Amino acid sequence: MKNKDSYGKKTKTRLLWIIVFLVIWETIAQSRTFPEAIFPSLPVIAKALGDSVVSGEILLQTGWSLALILQGLLVGLAAAVLLSSLAVRSRIFDGLVDTLTAIAHPLPGIALLPLIIIWFGTGTLAILVIIVHSVIWPMILNITTGFRAIPPIYKETGLNLGLNQVRIIKDIMIPASLPYVLSGIRIGWARAWRALISAEMIFGAVGLKGGLGWYIFKQRVFMDTPGIFAGLFVIVLIGIVVEDCVFAAFEERTVKKWGMI
Amino acid sequence: MGNDLRNKADNFRDKTVMISLQSVSKSFPRSQETLPVLNHISLDIYQGEILAVLGPSGCGKTTLLRQIAGFDKQDSGSVRMDGQEVVKPEVKRMMIFQDFNQLFPWKTVLQNVLFPLQVNRIGESDAANREIALQYLQLVELSGFEDSYPHQLSGGMKQKAAMARALALQPKVLLMDEPFGSLDALTRLSLQDLLLKIWQETGVTIALVTHDIQEAINLSDRIAVMGRRGVAGFKEIIPNLLDRPRVVGGGGYSEIYAQVYSLMDFRNENE
Amino acid sequence: MRLKIIAGILLAAFFGLTLAGCQTEGKAQAKKPEIRIAEQYGLAYAPLQIIKEKKLIEKNLPQIEVTWRQLGNTTAIREAMLAGELDVGFMAIPPFLIGWDKGMDWKIACGLSSTPVGLVANKDDIQSIKDFTPKDKIALPQPGSVQHILLSMACEKLWGDPKRLDNLLVTLDHPDGMNALLARREVSAHFTTPPYLFKELENPGMHQILDGREAMGEDFTFVVGVATAKFYQDQPEVYHALLKAIEEALSFMEKNPAETRRILADAYQIDENELQKYLDHPDTDYSMEVKGVMKFADFMQKNRYINRKPANLEEVLWK
Repeated sequence: MKNKDSYGKKTKTRLLWIIVFLVIWETIAQSRTFPEAIFPSLPVIAKALGDSVVSGEILLQTGWSLALILQGLLVGLAAAVLLSSLAVRSRIFDGLVDTLTAIAHPLPGIALLPLIIIWFGTGTLAILVIIVHSVIWPMILNITTGFRAIPPIYKETGLNLGLNQVRIIKDIMIPASLPYVLSGIRIGWARAWRALISAEMIFGAVGLKGGLGWYIFKQRVFMDTPGIFAGLFVIVLIGIVVEDCVFAAFEERTVKKWGMI
Repeated sequence: MGNDLRNKADNFRDKTVMISLQSVSKSFPRSQETLPVLNHISLDIYQGEILAVLGPSGCGKTTLLRQIAGFDKQDSGSVRMDGQEVVKPEVKRMMIFQDFNQLFPWKTVLQNVLFPLQVNRIGESDAANREIALQYLQLVELSGFEDSYPHQLSGGMKQKAAMARALALQPKVLLMDEPFGSLDALTRLSLQDLLLKIWQETGVTIALVTHDIQEAINLSDRIAVMGRRGVAGFKEIIPNLLDRPRVVGGGGYSEIYAQVYSLMDFRNENE
Repeated sequence: MRLKIIAGILLAAFFGLTLAGCQTEGKAQAKKPEIRIAEQYGLAYAPLQIIKEKKLIEKNLPQIEVTWRQLGNTTAIREAMLAGELDVGFMAIPPFLIGWDKGMDWKIACGLSSTPVGLVANKDDIQSIKDFTPKDKIALPQPGSVQHILLSMACEKLWGDPKRLDNLLVTLDHPDGMNALLARREVSAHFTTPPYLFKELENPGMHQILDGREAMGEDFTFVVGVATAKFYQDQPEVYHALLKAIEEALSFMEKNPAETRRILADAYQIDENELQKYLDHPDTDYSMEVKGVMKFADFMQKNRYINRKPANLEEVLWK
C-alpha cells in the first residue's frame, strides 16, 4: 500500500514537471525567437504526430521496430542464458565467455556497423545482429553474477529433491537469479532500443518498413522538424511505457511478490 | 503409547541397519594445509530410530550429515545405505537444513511441496499429487497457508513447510541439520513435539544433528557425541531409553543430562 | 518541493538564455569579413579544391577569413546553414528545393558542375530498371537526394508511377553503398557519382543501367552553390568575391590542365590518369550556369516531395 502511494506521488511529480517543460517550450516557441524549422510549437508537433498516426505510418514503423527488438531480445536472452549456464559450470567456458564479454561488451553496436554491413548486409538480419550484440553481453554479465549469487542451498535442495541438471537451470537457477536476469533484460532493452533506432537511421528503409529510426531520419531529410519531434515523442512514450508498465508490472508479479527484492 | 515407544527403543538393537558408515574420513583444503574434519567415523543408523548427533560447534556434525546425504564425497571409508554405496543426493534421504532459505521463495508453500512430487511422479495424476501435498501440509499443521509465499511465513512455519516437502516424498530417512537451531525457545519446543508426532505417524528414520543437549535428550533413541574437530571416532554413543513424553526433571533425565554434559568438550571451546 | 520548482525555473531560464545567447553571438560574428563554406566529397566539387589551393577568395578580398567544412551529406549542410553555422553550401538541386519549400531563407548563388551519375547493377539479369524484382535492393544516399529524384523520374517515365521502386530502396552513403554493391549480398544496384561510379564499374560484372541525363531527359547542374539571405544581404562584398573566385577557378582549370590535374589528384588522392578519364567524360562539365531547376521543381511538386514551387528560376536565384 505504501509502495502504491509513493508510486502515485512519483507519477504526480513527473506529470507536474512535464507540464512545466511543455509550458516553457511553448513560451519559447510562441516568442518566435527561433524559426519554426528549429523550434516548432506544440500544436504543430501534435498535428504532425496526429497526421502520421492517421496515415498509419508511425504505427507501422513503430510496430516494425518493436517486432525487431522483441526478436532480438528473445534471441539474446536465450543465448545469454545458455552461455551463462555453461560459464558457471565449466572453468574453460567461464574463461571463454569472460574473454568474449571483455572484448565485445565495450563495443557499441554502431561501431560494428561497417563490419556488419559487409558480413550481414543491410537488411533485417543485420539489425538483429546489432540488437543481439547490444543485449547479450550485459545480460551475460548480469546472469552470471546472478547465478553465482544463488545460495548453494537452493541447488543442493534441488538435487536432493531429484531434479536433473536441466531442471536445476530452468526451475532453480533462473527463478533464483531472476532479479539479476531482470536487470540484465532492462539494461539489454535500453541498449538494444538505442542501437535499433541508430541502426535504422543509418540503414534506411528496407522497402516500406524502416522502423521508427528511419521515420525520424526521413523527416530530417525532408526537413520536417515537427515530424522529428513526433518520432521522438513516440520513442520517449515507448521508453516510459516499457519501463513503468511492462518491467514494473512484471517485477510486481514476480520478484516483489516473492519477497526477493 | 509410552510403553510401546519404550519397547521400540529397547529393541532397536534388533532392528535392521539402514545406513552404515565405515571409518569415514574427510578433510578440507585450507590455504597451505588440509584441515581434517572427520577422522575415521563409524556409525550405524537403525531403521525407525531417532539418532541425535551432538557435539560442540565446528566439530564436524554437519560435515558428517552431508556425507550421509551424498552432497560431499568422503576421502576414505564408506557410506552405505541398504548395502549400497551413497554417491549422490537421493530422494530417499531427505536433508532438512537450518537455513530458512531452503524453501524456494518463488513458489507458494503448496507449490514448494507439490513441485518435487510432480518431478518425481509420486502421485498418478496432478490431482493425486495435490492431495498428497495437502495431506502433508496438514500433518505439519500448515493448513491455511498453502497459498502463502515463504517470505510471508515465520521461521518456524518455514521449517514446517520444509518438513512437509521432505516427508511428502516418503523418504526412508530424514537428515536434519540443526533444523530448529535458529528458532526461539518456545517455537523450538513446539516443533520438537511436532517432529515426534510425525515420527510416530510415519515411522520415518531420523538422524538429527544438534548442539542442544535437551533437544537431543527430548527427541532421540540414541545420542552420538562427537569430540572436537578431527578427533577419531565418536566419544560415545549413549542409548536414551527414557519414557516418552520426556520432561525436564522426569525420571532419569538429569542423569542422562549429566552423562552427556560430561562428554562435551566445552572447556576447549573457550581456550 | 518549493526548492525544486525554483531550481527548475532557474534551469529553464538558463537554457533559454544560452539558446538566445547563441543567436546573438552568430550575429556578432557575421559582421567580421568572414565566409564559412561547406562542400561534400566528390569530383563534382573540383573547382572548390582549386579555390582552396590557389587561395582565390583571399586574393579577391585580402582581409577575409575563410572556413572550409566537408560534411557527409546534404542534410547536415542544410542543418548547419539553418543553425547559422554556415554561409554557403554546395549541394544538389533537389535538397535545395526541399529546404526552400520548408521556408529556409536561401537561394542559389551559382552553378558549379555537372557530373556523370549512374545506376550500377551487379547482376547480369538486370539490364534496365525494368528488370528489378522485389528481392533486389537499390542503394542510394538518401530519400529526397538527387539520385532518388532521378530514379523516381525514370520510374515515372517507364510506368507512370514515380514511387514504383521506392520499396526497394536502401539508404547508404557512397562508400557503404559501394561496399554493399561489391559484396553482392543484398544490394543489387547503387546510384552514385565518381569516383565511386568509376571504381564500381572497374569490377567484373558491374554495369551501368541508367544515367542521369537519361533519367532527367535533359542536361542539369549537379552541384549548385547556395547562400543564405543573411550572408547575401549582410556581406555583399564577400558574396561577390566568392563568385569571382569560382569564375577564376573555372578559367584556371581550362587554361592550366596539367596543374589542375596535379592539384586534384592530390586533393582526392587518386591517380592522374584516372582523373583525366573523369575530366574527359562527356557528362563532366564545370560551369556557373544553373540548369534543370524548374524541371526538378515541377516533378517534385507534382509528386508531393515539395508543397510549392518557384514561379520561375529567378525566384530562387540571387542576383
